[in-house]
Amino acid sequence: MANNLLSLPQRWSAQQQRRIAFAALILVEVLLLVFIGTQLFQVQAVEDYRQTVGDTEIVHFRNEIVGDPPLLVLIAIGLGLPLASKRLRREPVLLVTLQAAILGLVVFVLWPLAQVFVEGFKAGQEAAGFSLIQFEKLLAMPMVARASRNTLLIGAITATLSTLVGTLIAYTLTLTDVPWKRWLRILTILPLVSPPFAVSFAIILLFGRRGLITYDLLHITQYNIYGPQGIVFVQLVSEIPLAALILSAVFASISRDLEEAAEDLGGRPLYVLRTVTFPLVTPAILTAALLNFISSISDFGNPMLIGGGYQMLAPQAFIQLIELFDLQLGAALAMLLVIPALAAFLLQHWITSRRSYVTVTSGARTGHIRPLPGWIKWSLFSLCIFMAILNVLLYGSIFVGAAVKTWGFDFTPTLRNIYGLGSALPMLKNSLIVSVGSGVLGGVIGIMLAWLVARQKFPGRGALDFSATVMYAIPGTVVGIGYIIAFNAAPYFWTGTFLIIIVAYAFRRLPVGLRTSIAAQKQIDPVLEEASLDLGASRLRTFTRITFPLLSRAFFAGVIYIFIRSMTDLSAAVFLNSGRTQLFTVRMFRVMITGTPSEAAAFAALLIVIILIALAILGKVTGKSFVDLFRI
Amino acid sequence: MSEVFSTASIRLENLSKHFDLVKAVDEVSLEVEAGTLVCLLGPSGCGKTTTLRMIAGFEEPTMGRVFIGTDDVTNVPPYARPTAMVFQSYALFPHMSIQDNIAYGLRARRTPRAEIKTRVQDAVALMELQGHEKKSPPQLSGGQQQRVALARALVIRPKVLLFDEPLSNLDAQLRVRMRSEIRALQRQLGITSVYVTHDQEEAFSIGDQVAIMNKGKLIQLGRPRDLYRQPADRFVAEFVGVSNIVPVEVLESNANGATVRVLGQTIRSRRPPQDPQGQVSIVLRPEALIIEKAGQTEVPARVLTMAFTGPIARYTVAADDDTVLTVDLPNPSPDQFFSEGTAVSLQLPPEVPALLG
Repeated sequence: MANNLLSLPQRWSAQQQRRIAFAALILVEVLLLVFIGTQLFQVQAVEDYRQTVGDTEIVHFRNEIVGDPPLLVLIAIGLGLPLASKRLRREPVLLVTLQAAILGLVVFVLWPLAQVFVEGFKAGQEAAGFSLIQFEKLLAMPMVARASRNTLLIGAITATLSTLVGTLIAYTLTLTDVPWKRWLRILTILPLVSPPFAVSFAIILLFGRRGLITYDLLHITQYNIYGPQGIVFVQLVSEIPLAALILSAVFASISRDLEEAAEDLGGRPLYVLRTVTFPLVTPAILTAALLNFISSISDFGNPMLIGGGYQMLAPQAFIQLIELFDLQLGAALAMLLVIPALAAFLLQHWITSRRSYVTVTSGARTGHIRPLPGWIKWSLFSLCIFMAILNVLLYGSIFVGAAVKTWGFDFTPTLRNIYGLGSALPMLKNSLIVSVGSGVLGGVIGIMLAWLVARQKFPGRGALDFSATVMYAIPGTVVGIGYIIAFNAAPYFWTGTFLIIIVAYAFRRLPVGLRTSIAAQKQIDPVLEEASLDLGASRLRTFTRITFPLLSRAFFAGVIYIFIRSMTDLSAAVFLNSGRTQLFTVRMFRVMITGTPSEAAAFAALLIVIILIALAILGKVTGKSFVDLFRI
Repeated sequence: MSEVFSTASIRLENLSKHFDLVKAVDEVSLEVEAGTLVCLLGPSGCGKTTTLRMIAGFEEPTMGRVFIGTDDVTNVPPYARPTAMVFQSYALFPHMSIQDNIAYGLRARRTPRAEIKTRVQDAVALMELQGHEKKSPPQLSGGQQQRVALARALVIRPKVLLFDEPLSNLDAQLRVRMRSEIRALQRQLGITSVYVTHDQEEAFSIGDQVAIMNKGKLIQLGRPRDLYRQPADRFVAEFVGVSNIVPVEVLESNANGATVRVLGQTIRSRRPPQDPQGQVSIVLRPEALIIEKAGQTEVPARVLTMAFTGPIARYTVAADDDTVLTVDLPNPSPDQFFSEGTAVSLQLPPEVPALLG
């Protein structure tokens, strides 16, 4: 206020100045809306009919509105809603931030997702109105029923087994005194840092028809890894780490007092495990199972690589869309995929909001070593060792594979495959542009939203948080389809640009970055911000000088997380990239299908090295290890 | 409820617990008579909690034995010991109702359902928790959670009740009320109890006997009044209340007592020092000293600071030889407020219970 008094004539009171500033703001926003409107509406001349008069053919045109009037209405509502709150009208910075957040989420989350549903209920490309014809078509296809059943079955099996094994590993490595825990903790969650379909590829290297273990070591020629058993195997390797991470955090936070109290009151160890320890971690176990279920049914790359023709929904939606180019049918198929994923997500949301016993009381003694009967302890230890060795073998085979002539046939060392990467340098550049862009964009949006959600009070905060998080449940295939439908045609023509990929990745990976930022915000004592405001700093200054410096570690962690997930994504990439913007993973995927194993191994090895470099930067900048990065 | 308790004594024999190279508990021997309450008192890290946890069975002693009654329970796991503990954090199970929390120990013992019901009801009535049975722990206040923790421990009819700083999470007023409740309950039930605290006032007000520990060792065991009047060493003297510990010159020492000289005064001790030839000190409690206007007695001094707390005025004064003493003046009258720098004189007690050294 002091600045304003100096710069504006004295005859205006503080209240008048506020009103003028507010009116200016509204004016700017209306202009912005008009500008968006002109972009969203375009009047185009379309050929109406032709008439032949004598020798001349007369073409009649009619004017047609192209664009998205509903989107403009949504944007107007989104910008207008916050103005209804008197509190927000008094806080311009908060108001504008909130409007920007709503704008972003409406346009880039809700709109593309809504498009999937709109398209799925259309009768055809040009048809208007509501129709169930796509679903009738789906019902008539035997593939759909089979793919749906397969997807849910694989999802259930993977979720159950990965959570079970992840829980056992987490228990062993947090609450027992087995040796080499430090190393086992890293090695058991190694698959988190690679593209999931690299695991498929490595498993083919080891257990495939000419696999090192199956063929060269065991001389098995009858075993077939391709098929549902392969998909489950790969998904287990990729998803056990997430379950182990979630459960480790919870096991480590159980108060020792609770278990001791139970034992002191007469509970024998197994009784205590059943009545106290297990019920306390149940919400976390369910969370892990549901998240892994979502991840399994969304999986695109692994079923394509190792499925051996086993039909699942995510790859089938891709095939419908790209190969048959039936947008409506693809969208309807994608809806089938969204429904179970969204249901699992809502259930998980409900469980964590309702029952969470992990209340950290200060001074609570946690994570002590439980004495266990020897045979149980050593069985658990063997399980961890097994997973660690498997992971080392898988990643080792990628690097070794890249350094030999032809994996499976000729193990002579060569640099040929490394040189072969030269042709993929443009794609690598594309991937880096996209990943850095989405990392920074997602990081900025994440920190802004976290500030709104964790620090500010306004009506509709829960809805904002939910819209920003819902992308977690949306399979990459569906995100890809939604963005294509929403931004393919006039007036955007964004398909084939870097922009669409950057925006899609930023919003797709926002949920985890947002959670990290919210957790960090909550750890900062609000008194610090209040002190700054009290000393006369504006909200903006308080944010840039106090809040952001305290949050910068969470910010960089978010950026690196989104960077890595963008570098390794395949499922949305296959829809969104084009010849000019081809991404490294798409190229790598193609080489895995068409090239020699060793050529493909070089691609995977390079990608893993890039991720490791990103993680090393993260460690240097924030002091966080990659274990912290993937915590939900 | 009281008639069904069969209580037992506790005996610790040369109990030691070493964590790597640290002797957390070092050869502690202690006997707690049946039906009495002993407080383990000491600064943090003195080994009092570790001792308690060895009685409960959570820590395995490096050396020594634990007896409850005549049974050697050293190698008995916690769930098979007749002990029940009240935790500092209360350790109420967050996923169970109050009722289920209280019933936990009985269910673990496979007590018949009907009996569980009546015993839980009794415990709820005893701790005045009626109406809260269906609630979950976070819905209760700190004091109520404390009662649930106590009810849950009592309902299994332990022979020994263990308290690990049970009141440290409560506010000051509630702490005082709960400690007298715990004391009354312990008396009424006549149950042998060990109570760990670092608060001297709490230990004195609640314990039949207080065991003072420091650096893993048991320094002194005795009734509160004996610890206060006859501290075994400088540590006890300083830990138990505010003390002025002043070196003295021994004039005479025999089995019946000693005569010493301090600040020019001659003072008699009813107990002789252990080593009259060594360094001997006297403990002058602030309330045993009298501060007066200058010139009335023979120890001149000068006021350094004065703090008025209501019931007393606490002075720090310096004698002529620069010995600094704390003096409490109870119920001071208007002419007894001496400002800083004022010359005053002190009156020392003619006799003290014991000497240090």
